Amino acid sequence: MSTPRPRPIGLLTATLALLRKDLLIEWRTRARLNAIIFFALATLLMFSFALGPDTKLLEKNAGGYFWLAILFASVLALGESFRVESENACMDGIRLAPADARAIFLSKALGNTLLLTALGALLVPVMVALYGVQIVTGAVDLGLILVLGSLALSAPGTVYAAISSNARARDVLLPLLLFPLVIPALLSAAKATTLVLQGDPMNQFGSWVGLLGGFNLIYWGVGFLLFPRIIED
Amino acid sequence: MMTLSTQMLWLLAAAPGQVGSGRIVGGWGYVWACYAITVVMLVLYAVSLWVRRPKAPSDAKE
Amino acid sequence: MGKFIKWGLPALSLVVLAAGWWLGLAWAPPDREMGDVQRIMYVHVPLQWMAMVAMAINFVAAVTYLMKASWKLDAAAEASAEIGLVLGTAGMITGAIWGRPTWGVYWSWDPRLTSEAIMLVTYTGYLVLRRFVEDPDKRATWSAVVAIIGAINLPIVWFSVRWWRSLHQVQSTPKTVDPEMTLALRVSAFGMLFLTLWFLVQRYRQALAERQAEVALPDALPPDLAAAGGANSTRVA
Repeated sequence: MSTPRPRPIGLLTATLALLRKDLLIEWRTRARLNAIIFFALATLLMFSFALGPDTKLLEKNAGGYFWLAILFASVLALGESFRVESENACMDGIRLAPADARAIFLSKALGNTLLLTALGALLVPVMVALYGVQIVTGAVDLGLILVLGSLALSAPGTVYAAISSNARARDVLLPLLLFPLVIPALLSAAKATTLVLQGDPMNQFGSWVGLLGGFNLIYWGVGFLLFPRIIED
Repeated sequence: MMTLSTQMLWLLAAAPGQVGSGRIVGGWGYVWACYAITVVMLVLYAVSLWVRRPKAPSDAKE
Repeated sequence: MGKFIKWGLPALSLVVLAAGWWLGLAWAPPDREMGDVQRIMYVHVPLQWMAMVAMAINFVAAVTYLMKASWKLDAAAEASAEIGLVLGTAGMITGAIWGRPTWGVYWSWDPRLTSEAIMLVTYTGYLVLRRFVEDPDKRATWSAVVAIIGAINLPIVWFSVRWWRSLHQVQSTPKTVDPEMTLALRVSAFGMLFLTLWFLVQRYRQALAERQAEVALPDALPPDLAAAGGANSTRVA
């Protein structure tokens, strides 16, 4: 009796399955999310103390502080995203399953994106209250930057988190590798957010969105191509 | 009222050695600092290469 | 050939570099605008050029390694990153010192300087990563990935900083085509090139020796074959 050959699972199916698994784990414990939210809130507060109490100054720079808080929190988030796999050799199990290694990249990176976007959304009212800013050009613009910026941090962040989770001094290595890389994304997102909060008389918002978009295209592509080499044995 | 070209001619006619007219006088301190720092760095790196040189198998004393 | 590389090349580089710097410091005329401070060019520019050469070697070695693994490529990548970092740092420092009397500041956020600074941090991260990964295969693969991503980042940084900084410092790199300056610069550049080559060869040999000690097998074998051979060494034939 012949059994039909198992078809390899498609990329999209595998990605969604892995993403669902990660989100389920995350939702059941919510530990990571809570820690990250608290850390980001604390960071925003610390900025107020370190750089205040001149409210004019805080208001002007709110976009920058917002993205710095997300960046620092992302280091925590990204570092954790692979830690869950290192228990019980889950990583080997996933690799042996008939799923593309690239699905692992996509699912991890998307999961991190969702996490950072959720974090950013929660931070917006805090930022408005703490720094006294207003969302001048509209919530859609802000949401767009939030999503694009989270995508931009997650793609290279996932690649480097996979590397550093297996190296010594992983907590130092991840920011050291990641920060120089995300500088273009950081300054684009911060600048664009500042325009949303302060008004955009010269219509520069579009060019920063373009830069962020380009950054995302390049690094999602590069991550997609190179990630299998990182987790292969 | 000076046009731009008139102003530029005026600047060119200014005596060299005046601050702001384009000529920096002296500054050898900066020059020596640069060369000295470079030489020191290159020498230190060469020394680090020598210190880290691979030991030949025959040197092993076991 | 070995003798030349070991003794001839450093001697040649020192002679040529000394000649170039003598030409630059004593023979070439001072700049119309910057005066004698401009003579920093004969040390700063060759350093920057050689740093870029080293980084280019690193990028090519990294890409080639991912296509066909070899310890030689990995050793070349490690050597070129380290030397590029040393030369680049010296280049940045001399550039900052040069900036003080000419622009009035040690640092400005113009795209070239900023991209260079980020490049130095990137390659520091690269070397730290190599130090912290113990498995030679993983170290080679992961650092190759990091090198490639880091290199791709540089033009992106350059463009984004250019957009970000609307005001530009006027570049003070001399645009004079004074032939005496060009000659002094060329000679200095060649001297720095020979020195860089010597550093590269020495460091490459060290790295290769370390790899060989780690895997205890002949060099130039692809790592998967080498690892398989090592693991099966108890088996006969």
